[in-house]
Amino acid sequence: MSSTTLIAVGLVLLCSSLAALARPSIEELKSRAVLDDYESNVVFGYNIVMETNKYAGRYTGSTLACTSCHLKGGTQPNGFALNVAGLYPKWRSKNGVRNGLGLRIRDCFLYSLNGIMPPEESAEVQAVAAYVHYLSEGQAIGKAPEGYSVPTLPETGSDPDPARGQAVFKRACTACHGADGHGTAAAPPLWGINSYNAGAGTHNVAKLAGFVWANMPLGQERSLSHQEALDVAAFIYIQHRPFDPREGRLRKLAEKIYRSIWGGDQTKSSSK
Amino acid sequence: MSTDQSESSARTPGAHAFGLLREALPDFGWLKRADLRRELFSGGAGALLVIPQAITFAYLTGVPPEFGLYCAIFVGFIASLLGSSVLVGGPNTAVSILIGMTVIPFAGRGSPLFIEFVFALSLLVGLIQLLIWLLRGANLFRYFSPAAIVGIKVGVGVLLIASGVEGALGMSPFFTYFAYEKFYLAVAAWHDSANLCAVATSAATILSGLLLRKHWPRAYVILALLIGSLVGMGIYGVLGPVNSQLELLGHLRMAALPLTVPTLAPPQLLFLEHTFFSALAIAVLGLAQTLVIARDLKATVDPNVDLHKETFAQGVANALAPFFSTFAGSGSFNRTSVALEMGARTPLSGLIAALAVLLIAWALEPVLTYLPMPAIAGVMVLVGIGMMQNNDFRLLRSRVEAAVFTMTFLAVFFLGLEVGIFVAVLVSIGFLVASISKVGLSISRQGEEERIAITGNLFYASLDRLAKHLRGSPRQHTVLDLSKVAYCDAAARGTIEKIKTEREQQGGRLEIVEP
Ligand code: HEC
Ligand code: HEC
Repeated sequence: MSSTTLIAVGLVLLCSSLAALARPSIEELKSRAVLDDYESNVVFGYNIVMETNKYAGRYTGSTLACTSCHLKGGTQPNGFALNVAGLYPKWRSKNGVRNGLGLRIRDCFLYSLNGIMPPEESAEVQAVAAYVHYLSEGQAIGKAPEGYSVPTLPETGSDPDPARGQAVFKRACTACHGADGHGTAAAPPLWGINSYNAGAGTHNVAKLAGFVWANMPLGQERSLSHQEALDVAAFIYIQHRPFDPREGRLRKLAEKIYRSIWGGDQTKSSSK
Repeated sequence: MSTDQSESSARTPGAHAFGLLREALPDFGWLKRADLRRELFSGGAGALLVIPQAITFAYLTGVPPEFGLYCAIFVGFIASLLGSSVLVGGPNTAVSILIGMTVIPFAGRGSPLFIEFVFALSLLVGLIQLLIWLLRGANLFRYFSPAAIVGIKVGVGVLLIASGVEGALGMSPFFTYFAYEKFYLAVAAWHDSANLCAVATSAATILSGLLLRKHWPRAYVILALLIGSLVGMGIYGVLGPVNSQLELLGHLRMAALPLTVPTLAPPQLLFLEHTFFSALAIAVLGLAQTLVIARDLKATVDPNVDLHKETFAQGVANALAPFFSTFAGSGSFNRTSVALEMGARTPLSGLIAALAVLLIAWALEPVLTYLPMPAIAGVMVLVGIGMMQNNDFRLLRSRVEAAVFTMTFLAVFFLGLEVGIFVAVLVSIGFLVASISKVGLSISRQGEEERIAITGNLFYASLDRLAKHLRGSPRQHTVLDLSKVAYCDAAARGTIEKIKTEREQQGGRLEIVEP
């Protein structure tokens, strides 16, 4: 395992140093008759990011695709861009260990796509990792790239208010995401059983607000005020969505049955 | 055993081509014999049985689980359609292991290129098998020593257990050249990287399988998978995916007709060039298994089974496999015997099983999604143990057979399956030659006259002893009784004629009693 990883990393480094001169576009790669192992994985990874349910349907559990959040296939600055290979492995508080890129990808399958965690060495994870490396070609190692993640909104002096957020939602978002927020053919669901679950990184008011402010409504980015973005994020946050899978489903079910029989706190448990 | 051989060599080219055509076309003569109810039941049972196997074998090959099911559906269907017997085809342990081992050095497991290589390899395997059909190779497989087959099966059993090891312990797969290295690594890495939840799941599978085997010798694998999966799903449900770190099968996205065209660009062709001998080994191994079953069926159930026809059916099914997004397979010992036990006698049960796999996989998809991989690894270990034990070891009482068995098994174990197969072929041929070149000379004397009665085959390789004996006493009067000789080739005949004239020149006599 470790030796194949080493070889793969070596290959990636070799390819990236060669290709940094002129990185072929995905379209160009697709039109080539012959692809080597790395290139074919890059194309496969790109396909997974764009049409996750078609190319990695084995592990998905929602109608979202990676590109729903990692906009334009992970190439949009301030839209959870995926040119981040240089940042991994890194420390994350979520599970308290050093996280490789593979685990980060698997996490997004489990939480953001409310799916099944693919194994580290599955072809899907390897392919997305290759694609992330491809996007990161020429980037400095260990330094966050330009437009990393989403902007952090400054303090507005007023707490995010879901009630005001609902008004923003009705005005600015329903056209694409549907009146019930469950998505339309034009845009993915923001909540409901087909959306990301309560363990996802997007299930976080500050991060979601930054994303919405910088990228939504699509085509009119940055048209909302900071306060509006925070409010609508708070509104989305309190909606029903699949629960955090870190708590086992059976235990969750047992708890639910227990509560419905013996009474007690019926509100949705949040991950906070 | 040589009757239809001589028959076919006596035909004119036109008749020969016609014979080939008749083998190549599906023959629905069995329709009249089919007992619909029995075939239906046995087909359904076969489908249930093949689903866990297909998923496991897809894992062995290194491709998504759907591909294994496609193999059960399409390779199974085509083989039954073109074949003439109850023989059940589809994904096969040894073939799957070999395909996986052949492709893994060339591309990342399961990656797009890997899959293209698997397809290209399957196509080549099918074509080689069709060539073997044209060359009447099935005749040769009749001499494949049963002891060598047992050796291969026991060896594959060990390989199967070895491929289940990482999954059963919840470790990430490691690639080793030799099976025994894997056991060593598993023991060495056990403390660091074994996952207790995975171990609990696989242990539940294996133990329940071993306990249930006595009572349900056919269905125990399915029951064990069921029990192991329940244990695994329970753990997963309580602890959740992150704490348990249990790997699940995931959604099966089955298509009814997964048509593709295999890519044959320079990388694929180069790959085929590098792996030609592996392809040959896979083709031979696949056919050997198919034809051993067919030979058994011919002897016990249905004298009309045609080995050449089964060869053709297997070759076409494998050559077409990549066009249906799947890999090569072969006849299956265990599924054929289950079909027989359920009363199937015709290819109908195989056809029904193939279609039933599609329906059942669709219907059970929501449950199969949560199938824990350690339970599947446990099934691999169980099937491996079964393969090692379900053999007719009485065969090995003879010293020669025991030697054949030992040589094949050691070759598989230490040198890998491909080498093992070639050793099996060579050893079988070696012992075959040794046994047929043994001629019996029974010599009796009546006064001056010597009488030699010969049994066995007289040909260039076996002639030595006889020629030496005859030339030893050139003035003797000998009656050479060839009436019990099974086969006498031109070289042998020429030598005998020559000795006859030699004797006549030197005053002896050689009288020949013709066969
Ligand atoms: C619901 C939205 C959503 C979806 C869908 C989603 N992700 Fe993410 N992903 C996130 C968020 C939020 C982060 C954390 C970004 C951060 O902290 O800046 C993230 C982080 C990542 C990272 C690490 C990037 C970084 O900034 O460190 C990778 C790699 C990644 N996701 C891959 C994927 C892949 C592959 C898929 C599709 C299988 C996917 N994601 C789908 C929301 C999503
Ligand atoms: C013009 C149509 C449009 C409008 C209006 C719009 N969105 Fe989106 N939104 C999209 C599309 C399309 C995507 C998916 C991105 C992609 O596929 O490229 C998306 C993705 C998202 C996502 C991440 C994916 C998910 O489903 O969770 C969030 C969050 C989001 N939008 C929030 C909002 C909010 C809040 C508003 C209102 C302020 C809004 N959007 C208005 C089209 C729109």
